[in-house]
Amino acid sequence: MVLSIYVILSVLCFIGFSSYKAWKYATMPMHSRLDLYPVPKEAGRAEYGGSYYEETEWWAKPRKVSHLGEIKDMLMEMLFIKKLFQNQRKLWWPSYSFHLGIYFLFAWTILLVISVAWPATFIVYLTSFVGIVGFILAFVGNVVLLMHRVFEQDLKKYTTPQEYFNLILILAVLVTGIYAWSGSMISGQAGQTVGQLISLQALEVGPALTIHLVLLGFMFFYIPLSKMNHYIGKYFTFHKVLWDNDPNLPGSKVEQDLQEAAANPPKTKWSAPHMNEGRDLNA
Amino acid sequence: MRKSADLKPNDISKPVDQLIQVDSLKTLPGPYSKDGMEPDFTEPKEAWKSKYCTSLDGFVGIDTLVRPSSPEEEDEFVRKFISGLEKVFADSNNNFLQPVQLTMDYCAKCNTCSEACHVFEATNHNELYRPIYRSEVLRKIYKKHFTTSGKLLGSVVGADIDVNWESIARLGELAYRCNLCRRCAQTCPLGLDNALMAREIRKIFSQEMGIAPTPLHTKGSMLQLQTGSSTGINKAALLDMLEFIEEDIEEKTGRKIKIPMDKKGADILLTHNAGEFMAWPENPAAFAILFEEAGLDWTLSSSMIGYDNVNYGLWYDDSQAKKVALQQFQAAKELGVRRIIIGECGHAHKAAAVSADRMTSGDNKVPVESFLPLLWELVETKRLKFDPEKNNFPVTLHDPCNFVRQMGIVQPQRNILKAICPQFREMTPHGVNNYCCGGGSGFAIMQSQNFAEFRNKVSARKKFEQIISAFGDEFENPDIIKYVCAPCSNCKGTIRDMFEFYEATAKFNVHYGGLVELMVNALVSQKEPFLTFEEDEF
Ligand code: SF4
Ligand code: SF4
Repeated sequence: MVLSIYVILSVLCFIGFSSYKAWKYATMPMHSRLDLYPVPKEAGRAEYGGSYYEETEWWAKPRKVSHLGEIKDMLMEMLFIKKLFQNQRKLWWPSYSFHLGIYFLFAWTILLVISVAWPATFIVYLTSFVGIVGFILAFVGNVVLLMHRVFEQDLKKYTTPQEYFNLILILAVLVTGIYAWSGSMISGQAGQTVGQLISLQALEVGPALTIHLVLLGFMFFYIPLSKMNHYIGKYFTFHKVLWDNDPNLPGSKVEQDLQEAAANPPKTKWSAPHMNEGRDLNA
Repeated sequence: MRKSADLKPNDISKPVDQLIQVDSLKTLPGPYSKDGMEPDFTEPKEAWKSKYCTSLDGFVGIDTLVRPSSPEEEDEFVRKFISGLEKVFADSNNNFLQPVQLTMDYCAKCNTCSEACHVFEATNHNELYRPIYRSEVLRKIYKKHFTTSGKLLGSVVGADIDVNWESIARLGELAYRCNLCRRCAQTCPLGLDNALMAREIRKIFSQEMGIAPTPLHTKGSMLQLQTGSSTGINKAALLDMLEFIEEDIEEKTGRKIKIPMDKKGADILLTHNAGEFMAWPENPAAFAILFEEAGLDWTLSSSMIGYDNVNYGLWYDDSQAKKVALQQFQAAKELGVRRIIIGECGHAHKAAAVSADRMTSGDNKVPVESFLPLLWELVETKRLKFDPEKNNFPVTLHDPCNFVRQMGIVQPQRNILKAICPQFREMTPHGVNNYCCGGGSGFAIMQSQNFAEFRNKVSARKKFEQIISAFGDEFENPDIIKYVCAPCSNCKGTIRDMFEFYEATAKFNVHYGGLVELMVNALVSQKEPFLTFEEDEF
């Protein structure tokens, strides 16, 4: 029971902390534009990196925005880690294996819940298959990434102990998971444990699964507090910074936001002498 | 002295004379692959060492960063930097807070961005110039001073760095070894921006510590705010120069043109980088010829800053950028023009159209456009008539980072060149994947001590390589005139110095210039060649 509550609480914390982090970023003040092309929402121009600035009197013409283009790019990044594929194939293999494995393990968790409610044979088999593939991909990816970091000088000198810890923590969760679940995954009994867990019953688990669940819970607490929460940051870096090229035209949302921001001028002032000359343009 | 391969971020505080040396440079192609084709670096002189911070890599970028004369001054310097760093993450930096915080928080240290950097590549991967090196130093200082984990866990979370005069001064210098071209940011899987980090360091130095290279600040944005132009040209001098340009136009082309000045209610306010009036008057002249021939309703402005579209604040100081940008909008407002068209200056494009876009709103603003779509429209609609045969020599195009990668203006310039230059060829890579000319972010005008050598041999190296390669076998043939079209004042300045340094014009007949000059040269109505490829042609 305690273990069930612990695991459920850790998942709730994962969601809660992640949402808080996202909210913190979302409520940050509007920033200066930092467009960087290609911007995928530029309809008809994204392919070569063009923008509305290629038009005369762009400010008087309707803007052509392709949300589909943006979603497509986002999906390519989420599903295939496209930028890394294009720019550093060597690390893409392990990184993709690792992330894909995690996606599979997410799917496995959902399937486990489904299999509790609907224990059809094919669901149970599918669940086991997805789980096994997930563990293998994530494990292999994690180990290879770790090896790169340990043996390559260029990566090693920038890696902090905490960053090794991050990889090792996940590795520990994966290894204990493989060890603890392997039997029940093949026999299809993992669903029972999940059933006990979500119904807050006492878990009938051995020491291996206990250790695994303790580590798993800790990982869920820890990820949103560490920089491994880049699933949040990445949304903002692309959508709210590099691809945010919405012009400040009269009547636009940008203009409205800026006017609201102007009502709360910054209080902290910079100190160099020229900062306080002429009009007060601090910040 | 350390070998650069061993260099780690926390070595920035190492008590050595010079952290690294640029001991290896990428071999250039063509005739420049032979030894002795380029001058060597000048070793830092003893007098520089005792006055400036030469202890990073032996170059002096910040001529106002002088060594302290007492321990108190030393402490004050460090204290100010830390207080500035705090302000980067406070409401004093609202305009950049979100992007800076994101880059500070999320770097995965995957080094995907390294290969994109032309400075890193030019030095055969000198560790000091890896895009994340300076970011990581800043990250360590930030963690050490401003995060709970850094204070409690120290080196475990990477907060292992000694903060002293030398390390901060070196970091300041290092912020001026990046062209802020943002090519690295294009490749980052997490969308992080190491150029932004370099700029934030410059910002702390300027906005908090009052330290910035003289050509950017005292003789740059300050001079512009005081006199109207960073060149020091005031209104009277401007009017004289325009008169001179009008006379030259007549002498050279037979056209009698009165350049419209302060015309109220004109459709277009054309703004130039004022450096053009002095260094390349043929450029504003060519604009005047094209605009008059097309019958556009346009004007120049003679009011404060209205005639100089540069905005050096973009490179180091938000408040200077804002002061200049607002004054430029003001000049356009006074004239009641419909739109501002920015001439051939890359950073002026970005400053006025993108960076200043959210500095003010509504009635304080005037729409900003690039000259490129307008000119392409004149070509496409045949409002101007060209004879491409007049430009029948090899031409390649340099894409200025500021309006290509950072504004998405890619096609109009190549459409024009394809229409008027039969031997146009692209550089590799080009468009939004272009490389910086090496003069970006102020390098083009920074000449202190041996800094120009860093630009010519290191930061501009990749561009020179691209230029040589773009002309292939023709490069070495001095009988063939070759033209690098660089539609940006700063890029032109860099390429001018590059060609002088490598004696490329003298030895291989390779020239540089803007786009409008090529256009005028190909005008059907132009009797004599506008481009003569002689010194002082205008
Ligand atoms: S912005 Fe350009 S010069 Fe600076 S680190 Fe990135 S690629 Fe290199
Ligand atoms: S590519 Fe991005 S995440 Fe990777 S090292 Fe560079 S800045 Fe950091």
